[in-house]
Amino acid sequence: MKGLLEYTEGNTFIHRMNPLVKLLLALCVCAAAFASDSLAFLAALLAIDLALGAAGGVFGKALRLLAGLLKAGLLLFVLQLLFFREGRPLFLFVTDEGALTAAKLALRFIAACMPLALMLGLTRTGDLTNALVKTAHVPYKYAFTLSAAIRFIPLFMSEMEGVMEAQASRGVDFDGGPLKKIRLALPLCVPLLMISVRKIDGSAVAAEARGFNLRGRASGYKDYPLGTADLPAAALCAALVALGIIT
Amino acid sequence: MIRLERVCYRYEGSGAAVEDLSFEINRGEFAALLGENGAGKSTVAKLIDGLVKPASGTVTVAGLDTRKTKTSELAKRVGFLFQNPDRQICKNTVREELAFGLELRGLDRAAIDERVERTLRDFGFDGERGPFTLSRGERQRLALASIIAAEPEIMILDEPTTGLDYRECMRVMEAVKGLNENGATVLMICHDMEVVLDFARRALVLSKGRLIADGAARRIFRSACAMEKASLSPPQITQLSLRLGAGFEEADTVGELAEAIVKRRRAV
Repeated sequence: MKGLLEYTEGNTFIHRMNPLVKLLLALCVCAAAFASDSLAFLAALLAIDLALGAAGGVFGKALRLLAGLLKAGLLLFVLQLLFFREGRPLFLFVTDEGALTAAKLALRFIAACMPLALMLGLTRTGDLTNALVKTAHVPYKYAFTLSAAIRFIPLFMSEMEGVMEAQASRGVDFDGGPLKKIRLALPLCVPLLMISVRKIDGSAVAAEARGFNLRGRASGYKDYPLGTADLPAAALCAALVALGIIT
Repeated sequence: MIRLERVCYRYEGSGAAVEDLSFEINRGEFAALLGENGAGKSTVAKLIDGLVKPASGTVTVAGLDTRKTKTSELAKRVGFLFQNPDRQICKNTVREELAFGLELRGLDRAAIDERVERTLRDFGFDGERGPFTLSRGERQRLALASIIAAEPEIMILDEPTTGLDYRECMRVMEAVKGLNENGATVLMICHDMEVVLDFARRALVLSKGRLIADGAARRIFRSACAMEKASLSPPQITQLSLRLGAGFEEADTVGELAEAIVKRRRAV
């Protein structure tokens, strides 16, 4: 999953879209996925996610993201199969309704996660923060908290990789099944937590030193007017949510 | 002890980090790997420790091909001190931290206790103290101590003195020197040329992933071409002796420079 949430440079119409419209589109795809009960519509949402990735010039990244989410989706699918008892038995403990519900749940999870990750990969965090403050009138403190949280994800992933390298060089063998990996990774939360706390503390002090509290709504020099692609995107948002509720 | 033969490595989505690199480091040597930021030094260290595998060429460490050997297996013979000690420390007390690496090597309890007590004594640590309550320099020494406790044959240090004050820097380096004097091979990445001059006997200079100079550290520091190409600046005493010219060729320390000046005055 490394690098999948990081911004990818580009000049596609998705890159140029208003950051708030991109956020709205991602949230609407997400909402439509949760509102819909149709397997076909959920599959269509997944296709829309991939199409958005392709339009943003990050189709490869979208496929890698899909592959990563498929693993988690598969786990959800199996768990749902194990615990869903209603419906006609198909084989062993698996019922027809269980299989359908499990497939919907897995697809819903993937279709809902993908647009948010793609939005982060196609929108500069700074632009998202500024647009939230300037256009949506979100207080800067909250917008900054959101952007800081997003910025720290790849940092933490890179730190975790560093921690795992350091432990491997001490003799920890990470090869093996997922259970072994989880057992070995748990003690590594200690160094990761310590590094993260120190980093966040350092960032907070640096922000204060640079006049964090002085920043207001008018401080951003960039404006985020609606472009030609924004209105069709907003219409797509409404259509997706409506279709999600209907299906 | 360490042999790289025509090694190439590139990170995904970027240029070659290491290109056609070959060198050998013999048992008991104390070598420094020098070069500007992005020259490929850390990649070389990771290649030797098996953390990254060469795209082509071979890396042999203590007779083991790193491509065919797990890092956890190499760790029995190679100790790696990272620049950030917090990545290495993962236990709640100094004692547990020192014992962790030994437990991974499968030593019996008595041997672990004996080595832990010895290391605590040698480094002057309080075994019951929480590692994260130690200062940055002390945490660096703890990370080093936990590696030294395992008595590695090869020690790799990635910028071990960055961010340390002079006293802590010397304490860390003296511990490394002691390990080297006991027979361990040391390869150190360092940007502090004074430290390199004081401790390393050999220097390998990298630039853009290629080896551009290899030889005695003192000789390398006097090679203006290699130093300039790698954006390095020789230690101040070396710079001064270079300016002074003939008769000062061997003066790389304060003592040697003073001796050369006395000799010159006598001659005059």
